Amino acid sequence: MTDRIKKLTDITLAGKMYPKTEKTEFDMTDIFLSECERDTKRICEYILNQEPMVTEYQTMTGFFRFDGSVVGVAFNRSGHKHTDELMRDLYLKQINGLHVLEWQHATADYKKVLESGIVGIIDDIDRSIELHTDKDEREYLLGLRKIAEALIAWCEKCSARVLDYSRTVENAEHRKNLEKLAATLLRSPKNAPESFYEACLTIYVCFSCALDSVGTLDRYLSRFYFADLEAGRITREEAGEYLQELFLMLQAATPISSPNFTRGGESHFCIGGYLPDGSDAYNDLSKLILESLTDLPTYIPQVTLRWTKTQPKDVLRFAMDLERKDKHKRIAFQNDEKRIKAYTEICGFEYEDAVRYTTVGCNEPAFPGGIVGATSKLNLLKSIERIFHDNYEEIESCNSFDELYEIYTRELFADMDKHIEFDNKCNAVRARDVNYVSALFFNGCIEKAKSPTRGAANVVVCSPMVLGITNIIDSLIVVKQFVYDEKLITMKELVSALQSNWVGCEDLRTLIKKKGDFFGNDTERSNAMAKRFFNSIYSFLGGKTNLFGYPILIGDLIGYNPHHQWFGECTKATPDGRMASDMLKFGFGQSGGYDREGLTALLNSIAKADEHGIRCGSTVTNITLDEALIKNDANFEKTVELFRTYFENGGVHFQLTYVSKQDLLCAKQNPDDYKHLRVRVSGFSDYFVKLNEAIQNDIIERTEQK
Amino acid sequence: MMGTIFNIQRFCTDDGPGIRTTVFFKGCNLHCAWCHNPESQQGRVQMMYFKNKCTGCGKCKEKCPNGFEFCTLCGRCTIYCPNDAREICGKEYSADEVLAEIIKDKAYYENSDGGVTFSGGECMLQIDFLEEMLKKCKENGIRTAVDTAGHIPHEFFERISPLTDLFLYDVKCFDTKKHKEYTGVGNELILDNLKKLLEANKALRVRIPVIPTVNDTGEEMLSIKKFLDSYGRPEKIELLPYHSMGEHKYAALGKEAALFSVPSEEKMKQLREIF
Repeated sequence: MTDRIKKLTDITLAGKMYPKTEKTEFDMTDIFLSECERDTKRICEYILNQEPMVTEYQTMTGFFRFDGSVVGVAFNRSGHKHTDELMRDLYLKQINGLHVLEWQHATADYKKVLESGIVGIIDDIDRSIELHTDKDEREYLLGLRKIAEALIAWCEKCSARVLDYSRTVENAEHRKNLEKLAATLLRSPKNAPESFYEACLTIYVCFSCALDSVGTLDRYLSRFYFADLEAGRITREEAGEYLQELFLMLQAATPISSPNFTRGGESHFCIGGYLPDGSDAYNDLSKLILESLTDLPTYIPQVTLRWTKTQPKDVLRFAMDLERKDKHKRIAFQNDEKRIKAYTEICGFEYEDAVRYTTVGCNEPAFPGGIVGATSKLNLLKSIERIFHDNYEEIESCNSFDELYEIYTRELFADMDKHIEFDNKCNAVRARDVNYVSALFFNGCIEKAKSPTRGAANVVVCSPMVLGITNIIDSLIVVKQFVYDEKLITMKELVSALQSNWVGCEDLRTLIKKKGDFFGNDTERSNAMAKRFFNSIYSFLGGKTNLFGYPILIGDLIGYNPHHQWFGECTKATPDGRMASDMLKFGFGQSGGYDREGLTALLNSIAKADEHGIRCGSTVTNITLDEALIKNDANFEKTVELFRTYFENGGVHFQLTYVSKQDLLCAKQNPDDYKHLRVRVSGFSDYFVKLNEAIQNDIIERTEQK
Repeated sequence: MMGTIFNIQRFCTDDGPGIRTTVFFKGCNLHCAWCHNPESQQGRVQMMYFKNKCTGCGKCKEKCPNGFEFCTLCGRCTIYCPNDAREICGKEYSADEVLAEIIKDKAYYENSDGGVTFSGGECMLQIDFLEEMLKKCKENGIRTAVDTAGHIPHEFFERISPLTDLFLYDVKCFDTKKHKEYTGVGNELILDNLKKLLEANKALRVRIPVIPTVNDTGEEMLSIKKFLDSYGRPEKIELLPYHSMGEHKYAALGKEAALFSVPSEEKMKQLREIF
């Protein structure tokens, strides 16, 4: 790391690069304007009233943030009145123990601005204005145009400030950097960038309007990188420094006062993966991105390697090697084979659109220029609770497991219908807001003269999170195995045991826990049950669409919050041996000790379960490995092949924590001694000692695989 | 034909190249004082009782169909013990049942140049079952390794040699008197078999457990090295430090564990340098 980047990192990690906001006084008489005219006028005034962050260590500036006084960025909904209200009333609050509203992502598409600059976007707006006759639509487009112009003016202001500041800088090299920056800001992002540096600066500035993921960075930046490299205009090291400065801005975008400052889930982006021509995007720039990111001692952003069968073999090895050495746990892995299949076959996207996906936040898939819709959580266990605790007479008369399964899925589908409706209603509230600034970098908004909150963005991934998948599969297995296959107990006995919360039936619970043919053991019965469950969801969702007409996938867990604990607290005993109030199992794949056959068995079970890829929404597979496994290089090589095989077998995702159970138990007892221990939680990583006790216990219980 | 197996362990990283499934055969004709799998020594199925886990709740006695008068190894006590204080060690398997387990991880073997390792106990004591297993693995394109202590008639080696891709061959110590003292048998047959395998150029890895006070000296290692050098070079020589992780299992079998100290990292490094 160069001295300059080191200085900038220190300032960033001290929280001093978080942009200050300037309070803006608006003209009171603008109330006479239409809502759109007033909102966009205020946005422009706000932007031009801001001050850029400038230190002598920078080669980029122009990132600003909104303070909520005007309609700002779609992702963090600043100034979005109705979404704000929705979040205030429903975020993190359970509705009937069944739903919890979750945050939603939105990620920019930088392709257009990198191809033709903001002036290119203005041209698009002008063309669209000519095609629209509706007054409101024209007004919306004129508003966007004003904001685009304000961004150019903002860069001119930044340029002047940087030039003034450069005169006070003694270090000649730093002064030269600032002079170059001042000159470049007059061209970028206004015009199409002509160099790697200008392209990075363009993203740096435009990110202000579309906070969240920077998307598929290696695809955006490759042509600039290789052209500059070939022409001798840049060295690999210089390019690495620009990338680091970009990453530091992403870290700085979160205030140090927020717990999210040290959580890696923010600004997650992707490298590698299929290109429209079927080749793999991973190249030397992707490698440089991994190297320069993990060289920084920061938490944000995280990066995902999109793996493909065509990727050179050493890529996975290289990324896993960096990952095992990365104390901050910033690298995760996705399988493109499964995801592209789901996006083309289930979502119906064209191949060239499907390959554009990126990973955002806690592993939600998103399409650059689109909004991720409907990531609210659904408690899957409520349906099984109803059939055992409320309508139990109906199942007591079932003569076969198939009859019971039909009753169960009827209840499950009823809950899923309710959940889709819940999500649609939430999105409908969100659609009452009109977004302008992010719209400039989302696809479809300019062409349709419509806000992204109203479904204008071209691709909307709709992916409700269903929590408790493993509990459900295990519960169904227990019923099939003990009641119908082995006839060890009657349905009446099982119902009565659950209704008494296993009190007086401890022996039965012990028998179930010890002899249950549970998910994760790669047995015929447990694999078949998992497959049947996912196929049922796949058939049920077939043809269903969300509010904006896009097909629905499911996910299993994302977010910073212990939803599985909250749902568990309000759910009665279930057949898998779970007692009332016990938390739901995390994500998909953490079996809390029910898997007894080792890591290959668990990975096989996960990979085989979902043949269609309906679980290609926001999914997480956390694996905790004994750290002894990677300390030894020969064993590390085997671990790489282990996960390569898992992907070839159909696994969607994995992320790793290397730790011993003993370490975690000690860390819980003596947090002061383990302040630096970072673990993978759901889609993000965090310091173990900062997590709440329920999540700590869950991580300890995740089977540590040797 | 049935085999008595006490564990089928998937994702093994220490029993040969790549990712492997290790099948542990029950029964051994050596009784090494430092053995970390004492449950492997007897050929028959056994009950293990871990006193340290027992809370004396009496559930095992309550569930025993024979009122704890005698044991038929039915396993009911192991199921209902809430603390896993009882465990049955060993199970009869058919070769197809074992193969079904092995084959589940075939894709992992293929990507990592791994395969199956037959270990124990002494897997070669169940030679007919072992031979059948090896044949089945070969038919299914799975690479095989046999982990043996070598105190076995040479014709057994001849039978399985064409079906075995790799031998993991234990050498405990070079002096036969000492060998007999600590394992119950002399090492003449063991060294003779090793010599023949080396001369026949079989793929072979020699594994030497390093046991302080028994064989952790430079002279001991030099004697082994000299022997190996005179008959051919194994593809790898692995020195495995003694560990006491099997200690609790001795008590569970009603036996007393002989305790050794764990060799230091430095000692291991010194001894490894000899080879």
